Amino acid sequence: MLPVAVRFQAAPGNAPNRAGPEQQDGFDAQGQTIRLDLTQGPQAAGALAWAALAEGRHALDIDASGLADPVALAAGATLRAWSPRPAPRGTLSIICEAPRLAARLWAKTWPCIAGNLFARSLVVRPANDLTPAAFVQALQTLSRHGLQVTVHDRAWLEHNGYGALSAVGRAAKSGPYLVTLHWPGEGPPIALVGKGLCFDTGGISIKPAGGMEAMRADMAGAAACAGAMLALALGRTPRAAVAVLAIAENTTSADSYRPGDVLHTAKGLTVEVVDTDAEGRLALADALHHAITRHSPRAVLDAATLTGSIVTALGHHHGGLFSNDARLQSATLAAGRAEGEPLWPMPIGERHREDLKSAIADLRQCMPAGLGRQPDACHAAAFLREFVGTTPWAHLDIAGMDLAEADNPLAAKGMPTGFGARLFARLIQEY
Amino acid sequence: MPEISFVKAALPKAGAVVVLMAEGGEPSALHLALDAASGGAVARGLEAAGFKGSKGQSATIWAPAPGITKLVALGMGPAAALTPDSAEAVGGAAYPLIRAEKDVLLAADGIEMPVALRVALGVKLRSYRFDLYRTTQKPDDLPKLARLAVALAEPTAARAAYAPFRAVAEGVFLSRDLVSEPPNVLHPVEMAERCRGLEALGVTVEILGLKEMKKLGFGALLGVAMGSAIEPRMVVMKWNGSKKKTEKPICFIGKGVTFDTGGISIKPAGGMEDMKWDMAGAGTVVGLMAALAGRKARVNVVGLVGLVENMPSGTAQRPGDVVKTASGQTVEVINTDAEGRLVLADVIHYAITKHDPKWMIDLATLTGAIIVALGHEHAGLFSNDDTLAAQVEAAGRATGELCWRLPLSDAYDKQIKSDIADMKNVGTRAGGSITAAQFIQRFVQGRPWVHLDIAGTAWSAKDLPTTPKGATAFGVRLLDRLVADHFEG
Repeated sequence: MLPVAVRFQAAPGNAPNRAGPEQQDGFDAQGQTIRLDLTQGPQAAGALAWAALAEGRHALDIDASGLADPVALAAGATLRAWSPRPAPRGTLSIICEAPRLAARLWAKTWPCIAGNLFARSLVVRPANDLTPAAFVQALQTLSRHGLQVTVHDRAWLEHNGYGALSAVGRAAKSGPYLVTLHWPGEGPPIALVGKGLCFDTGGISIKPAGGMEAMRADMAGAAACAGAMLALALGRTPRAAVAVLAIAENTTSADSYRPGDVLHTAKGLTVEVVDTDAEGRLALADALHHAITRHSPRAVLDAATLTGSIVTALGHHHGGLFSNDARLQSATLAAGRAEGEPLWPMPIGERHREDLKSAIADLRQCMPAGLGRQPDACHAAAFLREFVGTTPWAHLDIAGMDLAEADNPLAAKGMPTGFGARLFARLIQEY
Repeated sequence: MPEISFVKAALPKAGAVVVLMAEGGEPSALHLALDAASGGAVARGLEAAGFKGSKGQSATIWAPAPGITKLVALGMGPAAALTPDSAEAVGGAAYPLIRAEKDVLLAADGIEMPVALRVALGVKLRSYRFDLYRTTQKPDDLPKLARLAVALAEPTAARAAYAPFRAVAEGVFLSRDLVSEPPNVLHPVEMAERCRGLEALGVTVEILGLKEMKKLGFGALLGVAMGSAIEPRMVVMKWNGSKKKTEKPICFIGKGVTFDTGGISIKPAGGMEDMKWDMAGAGTVVGLMAALAGRKARVNVVGLVGLVENMPSGTAQRPGDVVKTASGQTVEVINTDAEGRLVLADVIHYAITKHDPKWMIDLATLTGAIIVALGHEHAGLFSNDDTLAAQVEAAGRATGELCWRLPLSDAYDKQIKSDIADMKNVGTRAGGSITAAQFIQRFVQGRPWVHLDIAGTAWSAKDLPTTPKGATAFGVRLLDRLVADHFEG
């Protein structure tokens, strides 16, 4: 499951490659030596040590004696060891004072890492490979870990009045789908809802060519939710959880939905389409409604690469967090901090909702282009809130966080980050 | 723009009357007296109009009694939700209903005095107009409201309690005037001269010109100014109201780009006329100084504004130029349209070295990115001090001038690393307001500091409850309240 087999031991290791706070970067008669750089914390230290391994080397001993958090070292190294290309499985030995305690903690940690890496493995796949149907297939494999996978296809969505998701996905050859991953457990579940746009051309409101290739990652929200569900299943968590993933491809064709169209959402609200490139909130609207009405969750959290606006607002160092519930908001922020997936709270103001008044429908999905700069991330959140009702809800706009914008300890530049999977898994276990 | 006065509750002989009613509330004594004088017509009229006192609901009854031109009943919503802070919107809603009347009596005998004062203030703030350059208006189109008499039980006490609000309203109007003025009239030299007007309130005003700023090494501010035919100015306004004369001051610093073409990195033509209000940060600081001095605030405060015009010309600063700030740090100018932070860098450095403030707050219409982030309802708040930031946020909620805190961190700071100088003046699009704040933070020397990015809130494209469309004076109310709540000893 993991790219690296991890062992904790008290005795000195026997790998030719060694990392430790006292080592110097270089090579000796035995193999490679790597200085353990603890300046950014133990997780980053583990990751950087693994990243420093010379080509072709897949075994490493890290001397963690005297260090507080050997498990974080292992977590970092394992996350960094992931590669989109097939590679031989590595081995990692952490030398520490209390190996049995560390191994017990590791048993709780590695499922979250596996979840994160599963999310990455989905995000990295290009859109001609990961079509909506292929995405569904990948999710169906999760049933072997005990997740119940339910798939609703285009005909089901159209028949049941999921007019928003249907419109977004209908121009593509494959999809749309609404996929539910269910982990049975105690009590009402926490629901995750993910935006799974396998590719987003923008539709009739087509995007500029520059940078459009990054839109293969526009399903990172759904991937994060799926990763979190895998983590819960692997960790056999006693808590109930469900993920509802809206999977589609937004493309241009003779049958594309248009600016000006009015859609009937599953909730019954009518929506005026202003910009077909603001499709994520449409797909999420139906998925949120489905999650809330079919699963009566005690809280619902959605993740989506939703707006360019959030990148202008927060850059690449925080995801945007919108919520209607103070307790859920602070728990989500705390989970993000604990997992190194930082979020920043953002407002939904009265004006943001007022701006969504439509002349022809119950609401419009965004502000028309040409009216100058718009707080589109806040508008999107105000839109989604209309489909939530009174259920405690948090919305994570992760548009700036899905791919590593620069080299960082856990992922090389351009690689998917799996942002959100670990945060969600932790939140569900703790909330 | 009406004069506000306070009178004993009694039936007026002439003019219009406003009665206020909470949802499900009882009519006040004055309201009942009017009804009696009308022979019950008022009660019947309100009943016929379906008037229940819900928020924003209004009904007008013409000539209800001899001499009275009209009665306007205005709903205030649920009594439990009515606070002094929320009462201003009631006054704001009343104004359009009474603007055509010369004399209006506000029957405030049924509500608490603090609420009544704020209703009156709401009327006043909403009545603002800027008519200086209209020459063909017909008298019928102009508002006639000249006097608003607030009728309540203790007019003498009310008069005294209203005095600080009067000063604050004057500060707001001064700020709106400055921001509304066109850029060919209000250029740096003219705006500096207008600041001298504060001397009448007891403010010490010092104006620094090109020569003085050169001497101080203001390379960043002067770099921005050098494209314009008009000289830059820095104005330092001091109000020493604290009983402890030696107490360290607090500083407010405003960006005063009287017009921003963008310079050589010129802006697109569409909407460029809005850039006359790129001095709104400075406009707020000047209005705030007027408010604090006008109400004799017990605080030592220094307001500083950097006034420049950003023009493209043969002498203008270029992208690629490196300038040396007063602090000694060097800046590579990547985009001449990111000029506000250059102006602030030098003024903030001066504020610290010359005035040694306890803390400082800067205001600037700094980035378009803040509109993309937050829109027009919240200003962006950045700070290195959690306590001060929370106090500003709270004062914002109380005055309806909302602020939303955004993050600062080393990771953002790295985005303004330059290949050739200590820093560059812009990063990428990502987190554009944050990197601007990081830039400013490099000049605050670790002092407690708040930066308010008011690019989305300084000007309103539509009427707001107590602000007609146009210049809002955002920040005057907020910062006056901040000082009143926490810093007057």
